[in-house]
Amino acid sequence: MNLAQIFTDLVFFSFAAILVGSALMTIISRNPVRSALFLVLAFFAATGLWILLEVEFLGLILILVYVGAVMTLFLFVVMTLNIDVEEQRSSFVRYLPFAIVIVAMLVILMVYVISPGHLNPSELTTTGGQPVNYSNTTELGMVLYTDYAYPFELAGILLLVAIIAAISLTFHGKGNNKTQNPDQQILIRREDRIRMVKMQGDKK
Amino acid sequence: MLENYLPILIFIGIGLVIGMAALIIGALIGPHKPDAEKNSPYECGFPAFEDTRLPFDVRYYLVAILFIIFDLETAFLFPWAVVLHKIGLYGFLAMMVFLGLLTIGFIYEWKKGALEWQ
Amino acid sequence: MISLSAYLILSAIVFGLGLAGIVINRKNVIILLMCVELLLLAVNTNFVAFSHYFHDIAGQVFVFFILTVAAAEAAIGLAILIVLFRGRKTIDVDKLNTLKG
Repeated sequence: MNLAQIFTDLVFFSFAAILVGSALMTIISRNPVRSALFLVLAFFAATGLWILLEVEFLGLILILVYVGAVMTLFLFVVMTLNIDVEEQRSSFVRYLPFAIVIVAMLVILMVYVISPGHLNPSELTTTGGQPVNYSNTTELGMVLYTDYAYPFELAGILLLVAIIAAISLTFHGKGNNKTQNPDQQILIRREDRIRMVKMQGDKK
Repeated sequence: MLENYLPILIFIGIGLVIGMAALIIGALIGPHKPDAEKNSPYECGFPAFEDTRLPFDVRYYLVAILFIIFDLETAFLFPWAVVLHKIGLYGFLAMMVFLGLLTIGFIYEWKKGALEWQ
Repeated sequence: MISLSAYLILSAIVFGLGLAGIVINRKNVIILLMCVELLLLAVNTNFVAFSHYFHDIAGQVFVFFILTVAAAEAAIGLAILIVLFRGRKTIDVDKLNTLKG
């Protein structure tokens, strides 16, 4: 085991520790804003892990789409709803033992199944580092628009449905707010508004 | 390939160290003598009437949601642009259909007036 | 080298944490949606790890589509959440019991 591999292992374990820690803080944090920010940290750690797996395009998309758009939306919604923070946590303790038991059983079961002894080790050969000019984006693009063209168009339809659903759910027309129309304001003519009235003045 | 990302990792490390150092040194060295008067909220002599966080307008939310959709569209455009000269007419037409679908959505939201800010 | 099992165990732990979050945060739908994002992150990490170790690009294509679907799901879920909050003035899951099946 040479130095580069030890360094890679170190990077993996530090990103993994950040991921698990921030996921834990996401679910136990009292404040929804803090939960959202810890989830952002979890996404960054996951990006580090994905780039370690030489999947750099998807890792960057994870930051671009999730951190840049989805988590911003989450923060917007937390701010929009403005929920009282303190009264949220009465159920926390009540379900905690239940959660610990279920999750511990599930995780132990999964870890037992996928532990190194059970997976076929002959299939687990890593590439051991791609060449320097390897482009994950090119690899992905070569199949995404040809072999997977049909799911790709389905994704387009899904996004179209998402646009229409979001507008019809949250948008209620222009409303009856008292906005001014500058178009009509500057087109007004003096003759439309002013009527000259001849008054008979007081006679001396 | 991974060695290309080593500078970014170093940048992340330096950024973390500088950011944490500013906070930790400030917390350790700065004077910290709280008392009841210093900790009390002050708003013209009264305790605060309401939460300091003001709720946002829903229109911000609508803009953010439309941003997500078109952000994903650009995410799909990027690998397509990289490999456009290799995938030929078929890949080009696949993307044109995709863009056409999203243009329908764009025209819908434009006509509906969801983009107008008033 | 890091084995495939390390990635799988890591994503199993993250998946478990997301599931625990759904169980213990019964009061706040926003945090429930964040926990769903955590579950999806764990699943995507599995896909990416398998794609890397089996030299199959299809896993990454799937991750891309999952990201798309999850972003649309988060957008629509939060839209529904806002409409719900406007109507009921609460997002407490226990209080959303008008619809008795």
